[in-house]
Formats: sequence, structure tokens, C-alpha cells
Amino acid sequence: MSMQKCGLFYTTYAREDGLFPSKFQKICLALFFAVLLVCPQFLDSYVMSILNLILIAVIGAVSLNLLTGVCGQMSLGHGAFVGVGAYGAAVLSNMGVPFFLALLGGGAVAAMVGMIFGIPSLRLKGIYLAISTLAAQLILEYVFLHAGSVTGGANGLPVDAPEIMGYSFDTDSKIFYLILLVTVLCVLVVTNVIRTRPGRAFVAIRDYHQSAENVGVNLFAFKLQAFGLSSFLAGIAGGLWAHYTMYITPEQFSMGLSISYLAMIIIGGMGSVLGSIFGAIFITLLPEMLNLLTTSLGGIAPDLSAIIVPMKEGVFGLMLVLFLIFEPEGLARKWRLTKAYWKLYPFAY
Amino acid sequence: MKKLLALTILALVASIGTASAAYKVGLLSDLTGPTSSVGGPYADGIKAYVGWLNDNGGIDGEPVELIQVDYAYNVQQALAAYKRFTSSGIVAMQGWGTGDTEALVKFVAKDKIPVFSASYSAHLMDPAKAPYNFTAAPDYSTQGRAGLKYLRETWKEERAPKLAFVFPDNPYGSVPIPAMKEYAAELGFEIVGQENVDLKAIDATPQLLSLKKVGPDFVWTGGTTPSTAVIVKDAQKLGMTCTFLTNIWSSDENIFKLGGEAANGHYGLQGGVIYGQDVPGMALIRELSKDEPQMTHYVRGFVSAMVMCEGMKMAKAKGEVTGESIKNALETMRDFDPEGLAPAISYFADDHRPNLSVNITAFKDGKLEFVKTETLERKKEWLGH
Repeated sequence: MSMQKCGLFYTTYAREDGLFPSKFQKICLALFFAVLLVCPQFLDSYVMSILNLILIAVIGAVSLNLLTGVCGQMSLGHGAFVGVGAYGAAVLSNMGVPFFLALLGGGAVAAMVGMIFGIPSLRLKGIYLAISTLAAQLILEYVFLHAGSVTGGANGLPVDAPEIMGYSFDTDSKIFYLILLVTVLCVLVVTNVIRTRPGRAFVAIRDYHQSAENVGVNLFAFKLQAFGLSSFLAGIAGGLWAHYTMYITPEQFSMGLSISYLAMIIIGGMGSVLGSIFGAIFITLLPEMLNLLTTSLGGIAPDLSAIIVPMKEGVFGLMLVLFLIFEPEGLARKWRLTKAYWKLYPFAY
Repeated sequence: MKKLLALTILALVASIGTASAAYKVGLLSDLTGPTSSVGGPYADGIKAYVGWLNDNGGIDGEPVELIQVDYAYNVQQALAAYKRFTSSGIVAMQGWGTGDTEALVKFVAKDKIPVFSASYSAHLMDPAKAPYNFTAAPDYSTQGRAGLKYLRETWKEERAPKLAFVFPDNPYGSVPIPAMKEYAAELGFEIVGQENVDLKAIDATPQLLSLKKVGPDFVWTGGTTPSTAVIVKDAQKLGMTCTFLTNIWSSDENIFKLGGEAANGHYGLQGGVIYGQDVPGMALIRELSKDEPQMTHYVRGFVSAMVMCEGMKMAKAKGEVTGESIKNALETMRDFDPEGLAPAISYFADDHRPNLSVNITAFKDGKLEFVKTETLERKKEWLGH
């Protein structure tokens, strides 16, 4: 039996700054990805579609977390920015632009739009900014519906499944690899941005804008950067969504989507990348779990399920409230506590 | 780790529910979302018919197994539900709203799963765009045109009737407006205005005040029953004398609960009959619902299931029942009469409009009253518009 260090001991700053400081973490992560890469061979298209939805939600949540959790800029228009990316990527893709370029193009359009709607953030804070981003949501929804020549308006816009070098990613299992790749890249980008100078500036702005300005952070520039980067990634999520569903309509990018992204980062844990991932998984799985529960209950006790089905929305709201009360730092903190518990198990002190 | 655990459970539970010989049909319903007040009765209608069919021989002896999933009017959940259906091997699906039906158009075409939806967008009627989409009622534009035709027929005065439109500014509301404006002009209506009233509006006075100034004789409204109730009540308050023509989702039995007296004297467009109407199929509905009055959405769901099952029977008569064979069988369906519960239905390989008929319903003394079935000519240029 080998001796294990109790805790982590660093001899250089670079080591301490590493994303995955311990070997154990690296092994776990490698195993996790190995399982993810193999699982499409064994799972049916339902489970694969849930995985795909989760991965797309992860990008959306992580990008909103960069803006709201890390930089402290509240946004109620994230769903619409996802929509801008979706329409951008779809239009480019329909013009014959290759998939990855279309995806980046969609992201770029979303980033531009996001920065425009981020301009008020120089003057507005907190709830006032939230309302101005809400306006962004409403204006963009209006544009999706009325710019018929570009977006297809109420009739929607069909998109083809992504095709790279003649290989069509047209099933859940195939497109899963594509989405996984993009999601991992996006999560890595956000994780690393937080560790750079702009990332620290974001945190400084969130913690106290005046102090940040005093130490030389250009508030406007960095807030705009946060909006731009966050919307860019949201656009990427939208592009993936468009290519995955192959048909987009304005209804898909409504207020509800923005709210569910907010719910993800609140439940996951504000300011934590891992938390956003947990939040995305949780919010995507919750309705599916409730559905499975009600269907299986329906088999055993039909009367009971008739009562429980209408309570589903209530359960969702209740979960949010309970999280806010008992775990305001979200699933990310729960995860840390669980890890800490097992690290010393069974000799907790 | 938690993720893996959750997924394993998910996979296990999902695999348990798949072992029987019946024809599986997915039923995507909104039981808890914003349209649940109409989604519930619609789904009940589908379940009632399929239940009856299974007790009476099923599809040539084989039962139809409905797999119902509540998606709360959320597109992501609809997508997941659809995948759940396909992994359990459905041959057809009963869908619901605009957003989810459209998000699934390409999937169902690829997987060859015929879908009957309650979203009557015109482009879903065009097999070139949506080859596997079917509906049991014609598209919003056709319904609107037929309604206008009826209004024009009843108009007795010399001058041209003045027409205005009130609808929510969303895809569902705005889709049929251009088609109706064009046809209204053709019929000799004078179009005097249009206003947007949100589905969740609690007050429509500002919009109606500006309409009052132009004095329309008829106002077409698209929306939901609650939004229509707000409109008719505010119109009465403002002393407007115009007649409202409400579309398929804008009025049902609840209009009198919500709108009270103010609803009387207006018209609604329906895809099916009203509960208690004197048609052959009503006896069955009465029996299944134990004489408990059902909403018109129930009847429409019932008809939608009837048509789908008829398609399955036709496919069975020719051979195997698959999504593709059901679609092909449906496209040979000619003047199928759903026991009078809705106008006769035909589908063609290049035209999925079930019919071009709409039931005009009058709101009289706190009750819905069938007036007549208005039918239009099946014009090619109207397909998809």
C-alpha cells in the first residue's frame, strides 16, 4: 500500500495554477472522457439526445456564467443571443459555408449583437442592467419573427445536418462527437479566460467596480469584452442547436430559454465553471426524471400520477427555491464538500 | 461520477419500458405548460379513441399502445421526448404545438414517422417541405379564408364590409395574416386596421380604441380563449358593435366563463363539432365520456386519433405497418368521414391539407352553436400559404 499525501503540496506557482493539480484528477477525467467516447455505441438515441442537449446547455450555461457569475453583469437576454448564433450559423450554412466556419460565423454575429446590447452596461448595474438585457431579448425575438427574408420569420428556417469532408453527422450518436468536441473547447476557453488578466479584471469588476477602476481596470472595455465573449460562446451553442435540430423557429429562443440558463448557473453555482456544467446537467435532466417518475407511477397507480403530473412545474420551482435557501453556492459547493468528505474517509475530523 | 450513475439509471429505466407486441404511437402532450388547458382535453380525446379502438379489435387484432410524454410546451423537452419515442420503436406520433412540431419536421422526415399535430401552420401542409406531417384540420390560412367567405356571404349591405385583424405578435398569430388579407381584398372587404394583443394580455383597451376610430364591421382575432375573452369584454366596454370572428384556438366552451355576456353574438372557427351536436360519431363520444360534456379540443383530438388509426388500418390491409407505409396509406385516403365529427378528410401525395372546410360556430346565449360547414375549393396556389 502506497502512502498518500493528505492534501496537495506545491513547490512552484505554476503547479498550483494547473487546471488539474493531482494525478488522481487526471485519471478520473481521462476515464470520464473514455466512457463518454464509448457510450454512443451502447446507448439508444433517447439517451444520446439527452446527452447532446446537456452538452449544448453546458456551453450556454458556461458562457452565461462568464458574464453573470464571473463578471457580475446580469443578463436576461442570453436565450436571444443563442438565437442570434443559431440564425447566423443556419444562414451561413445554408449559403454553403462549411460547418465549422458557419459555427464561428454565427458566434461572431452573436458576439457583435451581444456587445451592442452590452453598451448600456457602462451606465447600468444590477437590476437596471437586467431590464435592459430583457429588452434585448424582446427586440431580438421581434427581429427573428419579422426579418422574414433572413430568418424565415414565422415559418422557420430549415438547416441541414452538419457535414464535414462529405461525412454527414446526421444521427444522435454521430453528432454527439462533434458537439462534445466543441463543448470541451468552449469549456476550456472559459476556464482559461478566467485565469488570465481579463478574467481577473472581470472578477474585480464583479466584486466592486470602483476598486477595480482604481487599480486600473477599464470598466467599459472589460464589460464589453465579457459581453462579447459570452455572446460568442452563446452563439456557438445556438449554432450547434440549429444544426442538431435542423429546424429553427423564433419560439425556440424565447424568454423561457434565458430563464432556464439563469436557473442553471444559480443551481450550479455562480462563478464556477464546474457549477455551470452541473447546473446544465441538472436542469436538463430534471424534467426527464420527473417524466420517467410520473410514467412509471402511472403504471402502478394511475390516480396518483394524475395528481403528480400537474405538480411537475411546482416541483421545478420548489427545487429552485430550496437550492437558493439551503445551498446558495450551488451544486459546485456540494461537489467540493462531497470530495472533501471522501478525501479523509473514514477519518473525518 | 454522479452523471454516470444518473445516466445508467436513465438507460435502465428507458429499456424497461420496451417489450410488447402492440403498435406503439407517441403522444406528445402539454399537460403542465402554458397550453395545458387545451392540451389536456386534446390528449384525452386521443386516449379515449385509442382506448375504444383497442377494446374493439384494434388494428386488425393488434392493439395500439400510446406512450404519453408531457413536454410542458418546451422545445428541448419535446426533442428528448421524440427520441424516447423513436428508441421505443413508434410507428406514428400525435404531436401538439407549433414550436415542437416545427423543430421535429426534419427528424420525422428522416426517421419516417408520420406526425399528426395540432399546429395548423400552412407550411406543414406542403409535403415538399414537411413530408411526414399531417393534421386533422386545415391550416390557419385556409380556416381564416373560409371564415371570411362566410362573413362575406352573410353581409347584406351595399357598401364593402370593413375588416380589421387582432392577433398576437408571434409565429402562431402572424402566420395566416398575409393570406387572409389577400383573400379579404379579393372578396371585397375593406381592410381598415390591425392590432397586436398579447396572449397574456389583461387589457386590450388601447388597441381597441384605435380600432374603434376606424369602425370595422368585422374583426378577425387569433389568440387563445383567455385573450379573446379580454378582447370581447373590452370591446363591449368601449361600446363597439363589430362582430368578432375567432380562430380555432381563440374560442372554445370556456369563452363564456371568461368573457361572460360579452362573448354573445360573435363567431368561432372550429375543426371539429361541438359536444352534443347531432352527428353519428357523437353517440360514441357520449358513451366514452359518460355524458360528461367535453371541449371541442377533445373532439379534435378524437378525430386526429381516428384518422391516424384509419391510416394504420389501411397500411395493415396492404402489408406491414411502418411509419412509411402509414404515410403512403394516408396519402391514398379519400373523403374519409370521421363519423361526422369533422369534415371529410383526404390526403394527397403532393398535398397534405385534410380538407378545406371549417365549421362556423356562433356564440349564442352562453353556448356554442354550429352554424354551417364552409368549404373552399382546393386551390394549388394556396398550398403552404
